[in-house]
Amino acid sequence: MSRVVGIDLGTTNSLVAYARDGAPVVIRDSRGDALVPSVVSAAEDGTIHVGREAQRRLLTDAQRTVYSVKRFMGRGIDDVAGEARHFPFSTSGDAGSVVRIGLGSRTFTPPEISAFILRELKARAEAYFRAEGDPAPEVDRAVITVPAYFNDAQRTATRDAGRIAGLEVLRIINEPTAASLAYGLDKRHSGVIAVYDLGGGTFDISILRVEEGVFQVLATNGDTHLGGDDIDLALMQRVLAGAEIGPAPDPAPGAEASAGPALTREQIQEVRRAVIQAKIDLSDREEITLAGRRFTRSDFEALVRPIVERTLGPCRQALADAGLEPSQVDEVVLVGGSTRIPLVRRLVADLFGRTPHSELNPDEVVALGAAVQADILVTGNREMLLLDVTPLSLGIETMGGVTSKIIVRNSTIPATGSEMFTTAVDNQTAVDVHVLQGERELVADNRSLARFKLGGIPPMPAGLPRVQVRFQIDANGILSVTAAELRTSVVQAIEVRPSYGLTDAEVERMLLDSFEHAEADFAARLLVEAKNEAESVVRATAKSLRAPELAAIAAAELAPGERERIDAALAALEAVRHLGDRDAIIAATQALNDATRHLAEVMMNRSVQAALAGKRVDKYA
Amino acid sequence: MPPTIQACRECGGGAPIDAHFCPQCSKILSLGQHGDYFAFLGLPRRLMLDAADLEQRFRMLSRQFHPDFFYNAAPAERRASLERSSYLNDAYRTLKQPVSRIEYLLQLEGAAARTPQEQSRQVPPALLEEVFALNEELDEIRGQRAAGAAARVLAPRLERARQPIERRRDEHERQLAALSAEWDALLDRAAAPAARRPVLDALRECMLERNYIRNLLAGIERELGD
Repeated sequence: MSRVVGIDLGTTNSLVAYARDGAPVVIRDSRGDALVPSVVSAAEDGTIHVGREAQRRLLTDAQRTVYSVKRFMGRGIDDVAGEARHFPFSTSGDAGSVVRIGLGSRTFTPPEISAFILRELKARAEAYFRAEGDPAPEVDRAVITVPAYFNDAQRTATRDAGRIAGLEVLRIINEPTAASLAYGLDKRHSGVIAVYDLGGGTFDISILRVEEGVFQVLATNGDTHLGGDDIDLALMQRVLAGAEIGPAPDPAPGAEASAGPALTREQIQEVRRAVIQAKIDLSDREEITLAGRRFTRSDFEALVRPIVERTLGPCRQALADAGLEPSQVDEVVLVGGSTRIPLVRRLVADLFGRTPHSELNPDEVVALGAAVQADILVTGNREMLLLDVTPLSLGIETMGGVTSKIIVRNSTIPATGSEMFTTAVDNQTAVDVHVLQGERELVADNRSLARFKLGGIPPMPAGLPRVQVRFQIDANGILSVTAAELRTSVVQAIEVRPSYGLTDAEVERMLLDSFEHAEADFAARLLVEAKNEAESVVRATAKSLRAPELAAIAAAELAPGERERIDAALAALEAVRHLGDRDAIIAATQALNDATRHLAEVMMNRSVQAALAGKRVDKYA
Repeated sequence: MPPTIQACRECGGGAPIDAHFCPQCSKILSLGQHGDYFAFLGLPRRLMLDAADLEQRFRMLSRQFHPDFFYNAAPAERRASLERSSYLNDAYRTLKQPVSRIEYLLQLEGAAARTPQEQSRQVPPALLEEVFALNEELDEIRGQRAAGAAARVLAPRLERARQPIERRRDEHERQLAALSAEWDALLDRAAAPAARRPVLDALRECMLERNYIRNLLAGIERELGD
């Protein structure tokens, strides 16, 4: 049975965790680092780097490096036009279609870039399981988390990213809900929990009721463009304005790219590092020096208070939607690195009138919860059950550009809704349907999810056909649509073309593409390994053969023809080891090993030279 | 008459129409076209629901159907679990709020407003007087505002103007509660459909007026906000 993991695919950092005997554990690299920076970079030779190395390349090769790709998930070029100019990488795409991001000499969709990160996490988990001696370390299934306030297009894009990375996405779950699972609050309490999640780029608030192991989300709210990035940016603007070394960057994430020529990228990265450090330092100190100036915690708080206060509106709305007063909340859980800021904790504590939980690392708690959910799915463990909601109302366009709601926000998912359509003129055989997500009245103010033509309606007088369109939101919060004409029972197959997503065919093609590339990359790596082994065996053998002691050994110990067989094996390996045939190299290496085994033993016995034996390529045996 | 028996897709055995799992093979049953939210939750069609009882039933059934617990099941069972979970959530959402519960009951009993015209008709007769008075007042206020009167001056007038309407709204809430209790009493003593009909009709009229007032108040709210 292959492994399943839980993945927190974050704006700034990503993590992978799994359940070890039911208890979730974050998977770390050999240095103990759990965070994989959500950064992807393409080297000149086309090699893709992900994580720390890619993050380093932000300094040296920013144009070939992509970060914060989560901000682009499920969005079109027209959505991101304002934001994209602040990033050093290029964006392109046709109006009304999914945005493409330049990475090296190619362009990719956001799900493809995210897939690079997911593949890195998959590889990290597989290496970990392999090192543990698991005979089946492959990871091909995952639960992936998204901000609770992600819309259908953003969720679908996340699921597509998983598929492109070769992962079966068992479930998309909401980050705050995942966090509540990780805390295992069901075991200690029944009551109301508020999860406050301030991440790098997104803010979520979820209100849950826990009863008999059922985690029922009552309401959720948030802002998909509010996070720690905004705090960093405000600080950077302050520092740059104070230093008077160049124009202040625009008030948007990643704004350094548009800063004037007076500032080099290195200088700006320096400032970025300084403000990130300042944020950390000010969490337990009252005063620090920032860019050569005194900077107190109250300076910092005055600066970021307006940003943090933007989270309070969604909190109050979520409480109102849940029909609760702040005092009715029994537990508050903090998620996301930005909740380490004392001001954030204070404001949250003030709002709910209680001290928030912070026992678990706020960076890791979401991945841990995803691992718990993955475990529930594969084991069928019924101790806990997560009942989440859809964060945004689902509707369709009606006369006059008005949205008619079909499934209201905060409905427990899975959920369904339906709407009757009819024709406006005689013998009309098709009706256009426009699906929207959002709370606003006018179509133009809501998110367009899909447009489709309901065809194949039998010719009838106007107003007579009764076409029922059924909307199904599944447990991932993802929509599917079916339709039937009720008078004739003709069931329509609907090809829903997502407004800003990928079609199934496109995802399939990207998956195949990535396989081709992944296989090519993998084969290349294996070939290099085989060549390296061959070289070290050749070098060791040649060195031994030249040793002055050998003459004596040869006379005393080697069988007739043994030396000739070694020479022949050596020549055979020399002949193939620079070519591209990995199997031939491995076979010749093995043959040389076999030929020299006796010699090596003899030399070992005589304590002459351990070199040969030390270079034995046992793993091919 | 609606059917009372359904067939199990898995073993072909028969099961009561409101059973969720096959009594023979214990597999989850696919969701049929018949039945209703009340029956699905094992509840009589009463309008005064015990909220805690509804929550309890919702949680218990969620634990039985949720797709999380059918991840390794056959595709047909997974589909059935998705259908039943969705239906349960829709039922819970509808029955939880008294207003949507009444609207659902009216629909179920064939007593709902039939046409869109009926649903959004001009002014319910019982409200004519108040609505005319309000509109007159609103017109005057709009005129004064157009002439440059400060919002601060107009707000108390607007507030006064909508008080009679708000009183009517409170009256409707009381009326709905009384009619709901009346409906439950009829149901409890198994009154004939003909005897129950007048209560349903009264509920419908009350709902129509209530919705009309709601829209009216929302309109004023928007105007105040501007």
